[in-house]
Amino acid sequence: MTSVTELLAELLLMPFIAFVVGLAMVLMYRKIAARLQRRIGPPLLQPIYDIVKLYGKETQISHGLIHDIGLVMAVGGYVAAEIFLPVPGMDGIADKGGIITLSYVLMVPSLGLALGVGQCANPNGSIGISRALTAMLAYDIPFIIVVFGVATHYQSTSLVGMIEYQQIHQWGIFEMPLLAVAGLFALQGMMGKQPFEIYVAPAEIATGPMVEMSGKYMGGLFVMQTFQLYTAGVLYTSLFLGGGANWFEFLVKIFIVVAIPMSVALVFPRYRTEDMVRIMWKWPVMVALIGIAFVL
Amino acid sequence: MSKIGNIPVNAQNGKKRTNPLAGVFDELVQFCQSRSMFMLHYCTGCGAIELPPAMTSRFDMERLGIQPMVTPRQADILLITGYVSVKTLKRVILTYEQMQSPKYVIGICSCTVNGGMYWQSYATAKVLNEYLPVDVYIAGCMPRPEAVIEGLRRLMGNIENGKGIAWKDYFQRYDHYLGNQQHLFGNDWQTPTDIIGEARHYGLETEQTCGEHSRILEQHQQPLEPYKMRIKL
Amino acid sequence: MSVLDDLLLFTALASVAIIVLRRFAFISKFSVVVYVLATVLLIKMSALGYGGEAVYSSFTVNVLGQVLQWRFDALSWFFALITLVVALFTALFMSGAWGDKYRKEHSKEAYGLLQVALILNVLSMLVLLASGDLLSLFIGWELVSWASFMMMALNPDKVARKAAIKYIVYAMAGAMAILMAIAMTYNMTGSLDYVQVMQGMAQLNNSQIAVLVSLYAIGFGIKMGVIPFHLWQATAYAETPGAGAVFMGAISARMGLYALILVIVQIIGLTRVAAIEIPYTFLDMQNALAWVGALTTIIPTYIALKQNDARYLLAWHGVGQGGYMLLGVMIADSIGTAGGIMHVFNYATYQAALFMTVTAVIYRTGTSNFSKLGGLVTQMPLTFMVMVVSIIGLAGIPPMNGFVSKWLIYRALLLDGQPLLFVAAVIGTLGTILSVYKLVHNTFLGQLRLEHQDVREAPLSMLIPMLGLAIIIFATGVMPGVVLDWVAAAQIAIGIAPVEHNLGGIELVQGGLNMIWVTGVMFYGFAVGAIIFYFLGGKSKHIHQYDNYAGGHFLTSKVRYHYSNHFYAGLMHLIGGWYRNIFIKLEYALVSLVSFMSQLSENFYRSSQPAMLVAAIVMLALWYIMSADGSAPVLVQGLQGGMSK
Repeated sequence: MTSVTELLAELLLMPFIAFVVGLAMVLMYRKIAARLQRRIGPPLLQPIYDIVKLYGKETQISHGLIHDIGLVMAVGGYVAAEIFLPVPGMDGIADKGGIITLSYVLMVPSLGLALGVGQCANPNGSIGISRALTAMLAYDIPFIIVVFGVATHYQSTSLVGMIEYQQIHQWGIFEMPLLAVAGLFALQGMMGKQPFEIYVAPAEIATGPMVEMSGKYMGGLFVMQTFQLYTAGVLYTSLFLGGGANWFEFLVKIFIVVAIPMSVALVFPRYRTEDMVRIMWKWPVMVALIGIAFVL
Repeated sequence: MSKIGNIPVNAQNGKKRTNPLAGVFDELVQFCQSRSMFMLHYCTGCGAIELPPAMTSRFDMERLGIQPMVTPRQADILLITGYVSVKTLKRVILTYEQMQSPKYVIGICSCTVNGGMYWQSYATAKVLNEYLPVDVYIAGCMPRPEAVIEGLRRLMGNIENGKGIAWKDYFQRYDHYLGNQQHLFGNDWQTPTDIIGEARHYGLETEQTCGEHSRILEQHQQPLEPYKMRIKL
Repeated sequence: MSVLDDLLLFTALASVAIIVLRRFAFISKFSVVVYVLATVLLIKMSALGYGGEAVYSSFTVNVLGQVLQWRFDALSWFFALITLVVALFTALFMSGAWGDKYRKEHSKEAYGLLQVALILNVLSMLVLLASGDLLSLFIGWELVSWASFMMMALNPDKVARKAAIKYIVYAMAGAMAILMAIAMTYNMTGSLDYVQVMQGMAQLNNSQIAVLVSLYAIGFGIKMGVIPFHLWQATAYAETPGAGAVFMGAISARMGLYALILVIVQIIGLTRVAAIEIPYTFLDMQNALAWVGALTTIIPTYIALKQNDARYLLAWHGVGQGGYMLLGVMIADSIGTAGGIMHVFNYATYQAALFMTVTAVIYRTGTSNFSKLGGLVTQMPLTFMVMVVSIIGLAGIPPMNGFVSKWLIYRALLLDGQPLLFVAAVIGTLGTILSVYKLVHNTFLGQLRLEHQDVREAPLSMLIPMLGLAIIIFATGVMPGVVLDWVAAAQIAIGIAPVEHNLGGIELVQGGLNMIWVTGVMFYGFAVGAIIFYFLGGKSKHIHQYDNYAGGHFLTSKVRYHYSNHFYAGLMHLIGGWYRNIFIKLEYALVSLVSFMSQLSENFYRSSQPAMLVAAIVMLALWYIMSADGSAPVLVQGLQGGMSK
């Protein structure tokens, strides 16, 4: 962080890049889905059409101030989180927080959304949130073990430090393959895709948290999804794939990272909540603990 | 049938938008609205069976930006896919009223056009657009997926040209629709939604929004004022 | 006269005054003034918080050749500050509408007794914190126990009385352990003075230290409610009358932590504790204590998750958060200890605020049962806001203060290379997040009940302390350096290297934390989010809660459309069977054993065959006389030995 202007540019650019890349990831997800189902899939700009359409809605309902603030927190929390995520040439304020702070900042949007959905007074939404929080409990435990292992290995909690280490030495995935596998498993849960999308469950609880979201509220959730995919990809890339020396390499990596869970997602049905918790607490935790034993 | 395509358009309200983005990028928004349609298929009858092939690999609606959604809040198009019994119609109307504008209704199958093979039935609503402003009818018993997609493309064209504004008619001539609904369901008919309030809130109210039928409604209506967030010590 | 004399004397006199004047209406205002003045006196000693010399009381007592003395060091000052500030906020909270209602519902006497209990608690805690040797520590300890008991016993409810009795039984057992430990310490080191005991400890061998540490840890641990002594606390605190619960929940149990830090960390020293290997395990004693802390974060937190009453949920969290403090202190490096001690402050602020919000909800609706609440956010928005701020603190999410202390604990565990403890701490945090959402959702969100349509916001006298605490929670979250100054001074006082910090957090080569930046960026994010939300989208309309998606169903007030029962059903399918009530059964078994033994001896004593008793005594006497080498049995030898000394 050399100057104020650079910082300001980063504050604006990092979330914007995250949004654009995230849009492409949403498109990729839908394209992969279409290909796997032998369809053609949406046109190139479909994610933009959707978001513009949703923000262009002329009427929309609000269930009260907390419903609105919840959406502001959900999008705003992610905007903030993107600035903690180092990308090639831009570190943002990554050195002020590090991985622990980042994982807790990432809970802010979920909390905001949970509060907003709560005020909708729709039990489907509340059930969705209760399941989402349970899912978080499920995937965060393997994830946090992975974070512990990675931070111990690199002797740092700073993402910038981790990336530097990997670029000098070797990618984390080669040094800690078991942790990388467990991390990928946790990532699947974190992205909220099948088989772990129990909290959305469209046919059962009517998309859970999204049940009462219309117009710009739904648009906010679409924006949030772009950030979510981007964050997952960049986080994993920073931890295990050595970040990126340049933008091309970086983008290739994050798209590959995100494409793996997406492809897995589309060939699986859903797990029940308790099955999800069980599987998350069993396999990735076991693999991650063995991985930690190698690191220590 | 003669009422189709004859929806009076209020010229003053034609361009009035509550959304500042829409004011600047009007055409862009219209284009996006036509290219991104979330549909809520209210599967009332046999026509529903034609939708899966239209959505899946054979015809792939997603090419046109059309994808299914779950709740009326999220959806843009309401697909009524068959005969509508009186009891079902109540739910259809509630669902329609819970959708957010701009919203479009597509009647699929002959049953929605004129009652179809149920035209004699005492329990079936015959002409859907007496109760809801229908944008596009797709006749047939049942229409093939090609026809469904053709209908959806017609709707896309309408939206892009700024002609997909039937939803405004529901706000502007609410009394007319309410009258038909009361005629069918009885005078104690009421949904939990507040159409008149919405029409006022978004500046869509005309002299035909309220009338003799809405006065009947007011007589027995449960209050629909939202709880205001207030600090009363 | 030192400032400490002034403070203790003033509090003692104020206690007398409040006892005398308790029936008058002005007592509530009077007590507020008392706490303000006491806080001012404490602030006069604020040099302590920035590394000043310990303040001694000029008042000493000579007992059996021992000098009883009182003093304040940085650690005492830190705890005393929390105590007095919480007491001040509590007194403010109960001075207005809440007190009036309590007076009306119970009696003037009952309200007066609540004020008396509060000041006696404060006084006894100050005496405990000021203790300058082990004997005065024990005196303070007993005073605190009985003062807490008085507060708990104020609720005439059967459940509450039972909980209070349970508490005092636990507390007495703990006190016996401490007394025994103090006697043994005296026996081994020949002194009760902290400094001399500290020097004497160097000569003791590991097994002696192990016994001492176990006894002290049991005694102090009972007050903290650590596993396996956690059963008394939640019910007792939850059932304490409203404002009393605010005070008790926020600080009372932390006296155990204070004494534990003082004795085990400062006097005995964690290096000695770490040297003791526990046989048949890989653990040393320090690790074992850390694990007790970790289990205390997990088990009570997940018990809290199952509660269906807001007060109980919070009280169980109080037990669980104590585990973080113990865990942090037991990591023993500068960052971990700082986290543990700082968590006392942070915890006190948000726990007090949370109990206040719940009390405010009870004040307005008459219940804290989750099944009878919901949707109150439109009616009590400020109370909701305070609750949200405090639960963000409790869950340890930035930018509130709870995050900073938990971050320090995590960071220390990372540096220390303790993966399992780290995971345990995170499991506790995740459970906290789940249950605080249950708390806020089931009270304030969801559908508003018909009977609550006319509920109003909490009265101003309750709102002011709540909002004040919320501001503290946020401010110390953004600028943790303010608290870390005091924590660093306390660390010096207990002989641990102080944490290196600045206003925004701590600087570390391997990744630090700067909360000012973190908060700044978060609010920048919120600003961007608000711009996107308010300027890029159209107008929205507020609608009634019955205009809601229900699959085409017409919602009315006749059918409740709200989810609060069995809130984490999916999770409970899996972990529900893991709640085995082991500790409850263990406690029950102990109680049964004691009552069986006492009944046995009672029957024997009251037996209608006195001839048998005589025969038994004669037999015993004969056995004693005829024992082989004529020397007395071991027990008697011990007694003789004790007397001859």
